[in-house]
Amino acid sequence: MLDGVITFFASQQAVRAERLLLNNSHKAMLIPGPREISPNCGVALCFEFDKEKEIINLLNENKVIFERIHYYPEAKQISKWIE
Amino acid sequence: MNKNIIYFDNAATSWPKPKKVIEQMEYYLNEIGGNPGRSGHRMSILASRLVEDAREAVAKILNFNDTSRIIFTKNATEAINICIFGILQPGDHAITSSVEHNSVMRPLRYLESKGLKLSIVKCDSDGSLDPEDILKEIRPDTKLVVLTHASNITGTILPIKEVASFTAERGIPFLIDCAQTAGAIPTDIDIKECENCILAFTGHKSLFGPTGTGGMCFGEKVKMRPLIFGGTGSSSDHDTQPNILPDKFESGTINIMGLAGLKAGIDFLIKEDIKKVREHEKRLVHQFILGAAKIKGLKIYGPRDPEKQVGIISFNLSNLDPSKVGLILDKKYSIMSRIGLHCNPNAHKTIGTFPEGTVRFGFSYFNTLEQICAAMRALQELADINNDFN
Repeated sequence: MLDGVITFFASQQAVRAERLLLNNSHKAMLIPGPREISPNCGVALCFEFDKEKEIINLLNENKVIFERIHYYPEAKQISKWIE
Repeated sequence: MNKNIIYFDNAATSWPKPKKVIEQMEYYLNEIGGNPGRSGHRMSILASRLVEDAREAVAKILNFNDTSRIIFTKNATEAINICIFGILQPGDHAITSSVEHNSVMRPLRYLESKGLKLSIVKCDSDGSLDPEDILKEIRPDTKLVVLTHASNITGTILPIKEVASFTAERGIPFLIDCAQTAGAIPTDIDIKECENCILAFTGHKSLFGPTGTGGMCFGEKVKMRPLIFGGTGSSSDHDTQPNILPDKFESGTINIMGLAGLKAGIDFLIKEDIKKVREHEKRLVHQFILGAAKIKGLKIYGPRDPEKQVGIISFNLSNLDPSKVGLILDKKYSIMSRIGLHCNPNAHKTIGTFPEGTVRFGFSYFNTLEQICAAMRALQELADINNDFN
């Protein structure tokens, strides 16, 4: 379940992150950056929050710059709406 | 367009383009639309992914590994300007060669008028450069070395690998103008190891993209100020330019349609294999040199060696103004060339063809040996008429 959100300073980093997660068999979905947690960038990346540590390592190893990792249970709602 | 056209002006812009280039540009306009990094809807996200695809394609062809350090511009000139104005300050010292294009010389001359100290290293009359001559000019206040990878006049390939080793040892940024080499020959240096290097490239020559595309990739130790400030789709809560890459250097909407085409052009090159492209262009150069040797009064400038040059040849027919040669080649023989000084007065001074200039042929993967033979016949006819009058 996509209940985490990664926010970024630049959308190019968000797209890189999406690619990285998907290429490493993680679930990921780009969404409009929620205003309350992502004033910096137009897109944010939903992911499975219980994989947080693994994903942070993946991003750091590949020098993807992100702003913050958020637990964002609202993302579960968004996933349900769009299924 | 007449199918009998012989297009030998690929050093100005390449033609034709692979079919997929045009198809992908249409696909973006018809099916994707969207402005990357601005909105969060699917069309904007698709556009963002398309641009990232283009960055990955550039990374692959230039042997680079960090797509955030690939900046897209409208052409190589803009990338070169960003680098030169972004690194140098009045009072700094910079080094360049005597065969640089005006995209390098004009920014440097402007900065020289504002206090930059500029050393111009003389190349030989065939356009070649001794890398030791660059080393001799390096001093404690040297802040940038700028070299073309290959001359847009003679095609001469310069020793950027050797110069990169000097600049890397001394922590000096090294800007390499790859306008005539990106997609034509391997870059020869591993940018992953050259943390001080900046490669400026154009999209619309050997990479087979459309005009309006180009950019640069640069190593981690390169520090530059941006040239254009504005909206980046990021840090919208601040009215100051963000530091995050690539946004720092990509203000305003980039040429997404063009990048769709550029990506397709690079995919074509990768599929064909750049080594095969290089071998083909070497054969074209070789064929031209062999044919030219039989034409009385035809003089080729440059190394006259396919191993030492890209697919560019400059020549003159004795006593015939290059502009007349270019006009007759176009109107009578349907051969497209570029005549004159090619935005590079210094290179022409170096090879001894200033101010009259030369006729320049620039080949691409789509040119054929038959076209070279046709050009030889045309030049022989021109030389015969000319020799009769003389």
